[in-house]
Amino acid sequence: MEHISKRFPGVLALDSVQFDLFKGEVHVLLGENGAGKSTLMKILSGAYEKDEGNIFIDEHKTEINGPSHAQELGIGIIYQEFNLNPYLSVAENIFLGREPTILPGIIDWKKIYRDAQELLDSLNVDIDSKQIVETLGVAMKQMVEVAKALSLNARILIMDEPTASLSNNEIEALFKTIKKLQTEGVAIIYISHRLEEIFRIGDRVTVLRDGRYINTKPVSDLTKDEMVKMMVDRDLDNHIPKVKADIGDVVLEVENISVKDRLHDISFKLRKGEILGIAGLMGAGRTRLAKTLFGAERIVSGKITVDGIEVRMNSPRDSINAGIGLVTEDRKNEGLILDLSVKQNVCLPNMSKFITNGWINSGKENQAVDQYIDKLNIKTPTRNQLAIFLSGGNQQKVVLSKWLCSDAKIFIFDEPTRGIDVGAKTEIYQLMNQLVAKGVAIIMISSEMPEILGMSDRILIMRNGRIAGELSDSEASQEEIMNYALGEAYEAVL
Amino acid sequence: MKNITTHQFSALLLITLLVFTSFSCYKEEFPGRPTVALVVKTLNNPFFNDMQTGAEEMARELEINLIVQAAEREVDVEQQVQIVENLIQRRVDAIMLTPSGSREVVPVIASANRNNIPIINLDTRVDADLLASDNAFVSTFIGSDNYEGGLIAGRYVGEQLNGVGKVAILEGIPGHETADSRQQGFLSGIGEYPGIEIVTSQTANWERNMGYTVFQNILQSFNDVQAVFAASDLMALGAVEAIASSGRDPDDIIVVGFDAHVEAVDAIRRGVMHATIAQNPYEIGRAGVEYAYKVLNGEDIPNNINVEIKLITRDNVDE
Amino acid sequence: MKQFFNNQNLDQIRQFGTFFGLIALCLLFTILSPYFFTTSNLLNVAQQSSIIAVISVGMTFVIITAGIDLSVGSVLAFSGVVMASVLHAGLPIPIGIIVGLGVGFSCGLLNGLLVSYGKIPPFIATLGMMSIARGAGLWFTDGRPISGFDDSFRYLATGEIFYIPVPVIIMIVVYVIAHLILTKTKMGRYTYAIGGNEKAAVLSGINIKLYLNIIYGIAGLLSALGAVMLTARLNSAQPIAGIMYELDAIAATVIGGTSLFGGKGTVIGTLIGALIIGVLRNGLNLLGVSSFIQQIVIGSVIIGAILLDTNLKMKKN
Repeated sequence: MEHISKRFPGVLALDSVQFDLFKGEVHVLLGENGAGKSTLMKILSGAYEKDEGNIFIDEHKTEINGPSHAQELGIGIIYQEFNLNPYLSVAENIFLGREPTILPGIIDWKKIYRDAQELLDSLNVDIDSKQIVETLGVAMKQMVEVAKALSLNARILIMDEPTASLSNNEIEALFKTIKKLQTEGVAIIYISHRLEEIFRIGDRVTVLRDGRYINTKPVSDLTKDEMVKMMVDRDLDNHIPKVKADIGDVVLEVENISVKDRLHDISFKLRKGEILGIAGLMGAGRTRLAKTLFGAERIVSGKITVDGIEVRMNSPRDSINAGIGLVTEDRKNEGLILDLSVKQNVCLPNMSKFITNGWINSGKENQAVDQYIDKLNIKTPTRNQLAIFLSGGNQQKVVLSKWLCSDAKIFIFDEPTRGIDVGAKTEIYQLMNQLVAKGVAIIMISSEMPEILGMSDRILIMRNGRIAGELSDSEASQEEIMNYALGEAYEAVL
Repeated sequence: MKNITTHQFSALLLITLLVFTSFSCYKEEFPGRPTVALVVKTLNNPFFNDMQTGAEEMARELEINLIVQAAEREVDVEQQVQIVENLIQRRVDAIMLTPSGSREVVPVIASANRNNIPIINLDTRVDADLLASDNAFVSTFIGSDNYEGGLIAGRYVGEQLNGVGKVAILEGIPGHETADSRQQGFLSGIGEYPGIEIVTSQTANWERNMGYTVFQNILQSFNDVQAVFAASDLMALGAVEAIASSGRDPDDIIVVGFDAHVEAVDAIRRGVMHATIAQNPYEIGRAGVEYAYKVLNGEDIPNNINVEIKLITRDNVDE
Repeated sequence: MKQFFNNQNLDQIRQFGTFFGLIALCLLFTILSPYFFTTSNLLNVAQQSSIIAVISVGMTFVIITAGIDLSVGSVLAFSGVVMASVLHAGLPIPIGIIVGLGVGFSCGLLNGLLVSYGKIPPFIATLGMMSIARGAGLWFTDGRPISGFDDSFRYLATGEIFYIPVPVIIMIVVYVIAHLILTKTKMGRYTYAIGGNEKAAVLSGINIKLYLNIIYGIAGLLSALGAVMLTARLNSAQPIAGIMYELDAIAATVIGGTSLFGGKGTVIGTLIGALIIGVLRNGLNLLGVSSFIQQIVIGSVIIGAILLDTNLKMKKN
């Protein structure tokens, strides 16, 4: 691809970018959010039309006319947001549009389920090809996407943050599959923020920044810091800038909380100024715990006490009034209202603050929002920009602002930096530091080891809806966490 | 590419609409001559189509312009009122009106009076009391005596049943003068036969399908009913179809309608229906235009013009 | 300049486009008919559009929450006949009107409860209410209209204040209040939030159930207000009034730019939509176009409006 440019209303997403790919290589595409990686790949996979530039496949100049044309050319893409039909089965999703038929128009159900199951098994994933996609969790859905792309026999496979929701086991399986595909001559374009992974499987890496091409180098020629520097042009010597704060009194006490079938007898204490990390594998119940503490799940038994006063959690409003804020795992569907503006989203849980004599006081709202745009460095043209237009990192900052605005004293972060570029990640960690310095207490659910180890003062590990173990700052290590999470001895792979 | 096509399509749609509209605009046949308007309850009913034909032919003979309008649905009085209001805006010379609501049109008639546009009331009477209390008036009423028609139908049924039996009634839209008068007339007629019992009286809103479903239900609940009077032929035809699909012998149940709809007359000929009352919508239409013209010429006209009613049965159906 | 194309402005362009469409239509009819552009006819059109316009406000609120209300016509009829019977019983006019509005609000509230607590899809819940209210009205009056009211009541339809017909004034007042609520109150903000993303709204601490109930209640209330206006206009309350009014209300709302998917829309747009429908009917009547063709034209305009909306939606993505 050369001199590729793409314009959107008001924004130059790609400015004369170049990219090349060899057969059988894993070529990592690296860059901050908004750097243009997704846009470039959407052009290659036919979802967008380029405004300028040329694409050569097998040295033939090619025009890609749409997603199906791209598929015909052997280009497959696995999006970070899934492209699945939740009401159909896994097999139907994998073979959508290409179903094997007995007669024209009549699907060969036996074959479709069998073929799909083979694909799933080859990925070491425990899914029944007959399962309806809606019932699967985030990680499983992604595996279906991987299976779908594989079924297309792509020669070029684009993977956009494929491991974001995968457990370590699943990542291993994925890497195995990638290696296998490489030997078959498939070229893989791998978009990821996880530097450790890049070093493991990447052959070359191309860095984009602000829609421009920066450089392409073999992975072996680079160190972590050098890679990061290319991405953000600043030195990040310590990626996890934890600043320990004074730990005060107990602000939250959770006693024997149970949720029907899902959480059993959860108890712990949280102190002011503390960051409590919660680790665990997919399905351990961490998000459910977060939702329960926020009043979004029905508590069967147990007690929650904030600042010594028992709180009856019947709805999120109770939780918000008690001073709890939840930064959800899925910010697009649960954290933000995309049709509303930055300002409207930030002020939404706190409207009573901005009402004067029954009317919304725009002045107060604007003041509040501008404060957060400034403090958190939210990149948006105006405060009235609709949330849907912000990049992932900035969207997360808007969600944070919501709770800052509500003066929450307890923040629950569920995967706070997933899908966010390094620069914004650091900003969020620094924000957490500022919060705890002021006496806020933080519960941080995370699947990223460096993050959990780096930021937490204490770590709870969950497994099967219970607290499996607790580690203090000094005791904690990746092996220890994994031990508790798996419930058996864990052998280091990394 | 998709966006351009949709835009082109929208533009095409708009242009088609414009052209269509311009072509379907009303064009005056006789420029310089008076323009009268006929507003009927609905154009979906041959009764009113016949009325339209009568009016059109008289208009052509008199060399005056005629506009014919109706609301989308017979039940939508408000839309009919809006049509009359718009015709007033358009300064037509006279309006002939078959009201979709005998009481609801009074305010707009008052408005027409204020604008010096004569109103000729056709077929269904406007409520006289409400007219009076609003100080409004119509130039004349032209129609059949619905009461008389009902009376004749009632006597016919009484006779046919030899004075004894069970009868059902399918009513028109309640509150419509036509519906009320026909029903009152029928009840009077049938009242002369004390051995006759009215098992049920329900409305089918002048509609054929409703006549079908309502009568089907009546057959279920009163399966010994021997006769049905429907205040209009469309409802009667619905009842006929209900009888047919129930498998009962058409001769078991006497069906009497009203309006002398072409299909009803045919049904009588075929023996699945028994009688209907012939108004004469064509005549009403003709007379409407004729008398409107007279009013415009300043002539005095009677305030009630009766168009004759006839009972049509198997015996005289071929006349 | 680049900021001009952010989403907010696309919405404003869309609204401006609808307004432009209204102007274009008026221009068209002015050219084609000498009777269109007169003061009396324009007031005529405004008056004719007023009842649907008022009902459409309630519909707009409901549609912004990604719901729909098919019962507005039936609720109009039912509340109208109840009010009429109260007036005929000799009770003072304000009492009658309050009772009517109360009936409307209650029906709407029932819709809201079905949707919020019963978790019944709005389409189904209001479809049921459509039938129930219609039946209730017919049963209440035995199918007959209730007619003949005091002049002081009819003033609501026939009166004029500074030469503007009272129904038009009522319409304007309703729109001003609705606009203020939607843009400047907590409830308005919450309405958009619920329609934009119900899950996220819950997680922002909004009491969805409460607000849905209020919003559907408002729709019922405004249907009842429509009944007051219609009864005064026709001097009669019919149990068969309002049939298919919900379609006109939905049409006005959609033409005005409110998305059926929720989260977007304005009442000003709905007003323009209602006026577009009113102008179309009036203009086509004046031109003597047959009512069958009128139906075709109005249906095409609705489709055209939706096409533009989908088109703009695609541009946004």
